[in-house]
Amino acid sequence: MPADDAIIALIQGGRAGEAFERLMPAYRRRVFGLAYSLLRDRGAAEDVAQEAFVKLWQALPRYDGRAQLSTWIYAITRNAAISAMRKRRRLVSMTDPVVLEEVECRSAMPSTEPEDVALWRQVEALPDKQRQAVTLYYQEQRPVEEAAAMMGLPVNTVKTHLHRARASLATALRIAGMEST
Amino acid sequence: MNSEDPRQAQLDTRLSRLLGGLDAEAGFEERVMQRVAKLAAAAPREDLRAQFERRRDLLRRRLRREAWMNGITILGLGACASALLWRYASEIQKLGTDSIPLIDPGLLIGSTLAAVGAALWFLIRRSRE
Repeated sequence: MPADDAIIALIQGGRAGEAFERLMPAYRRRVFGLAYSLLRDRGAAEDVAQEAFVKLWQALPRYDGRAQLSTWIYAITRNAAISAMRKRRRLVSMTDPVVLEEVECRSAMPSTEPEDVALWRQVEALPDKQRQAVTLYYQEQRPVEEAAAMMGLPVNTVKTHLHRARASLATALRIAGMEST
Repeated sequence: MNSEDPRQAQLDTRLSRLLGGLDAEAGFEERVMQRVAKLAAAAPREDLRAQFERRRDLLRRRLRREAWMNGITILGLGACASALLWRYASEIQKLGTDSIPLIDPGLLIGSTLAAVGAALWFLIRRSRE
């Protein structure tokens, strides 16, 4: 990616601050999308995305170019999200899970259109990996290869998740459509 | 991943519309930069402290290593001197009994004092370093 090359050149030139200023707008949506796909909560995803960027800022001068910049950024984001999930799990154990799920679902829903709400609920009901693949793929209509890099999974595995998710969603929406008519 | 099936294509469009707007809240980058600025302000103090501790640690290690080396050197020299004394005890004794009456007592006291003074000077200088 040309933007990545420019960022790497800045890091190697000892200008990590400038590199960070370029990196954040370039990766903001991807980092947020990845955090959101793992956490299913906008507020928590925002916190994790912030945390990931702060960690990136701290680690940027030590980036040695052995891994691709994007792979490195996604790994840091996934680790931040996993830490947040562990903390949340401890909280969830102290909270009623039914109430919590309802609150999370409402806080995450991007639209209030009935059709969108139905589709959103179907997406939320997908198995974790399928939901994650769908979220990352459709967030920016990005190539499957990139969604796979973000998830840290092989491309074919992500293709399979996407294929199954789309089939499930199509079936679920067809059934829902038939029920409503 | 785009489908020829119109239903799938419609699903793709709906999913893109639904998830395409997924982004952080406005002002996200400013909030990150504020956190980064706070950390950056705290960083020089942390750096100085870390630098000081690192140097102190290095110095401690160097002094410990030198103390070991000095100990080993003294032991080695002592062992060599003892071996020589042991080996040439009779010759040294003979030389002593033969030559001491010939040496001027003033010279003997003077050179002994000079040797003790040099040793003291060396020890004081080392302790100040």
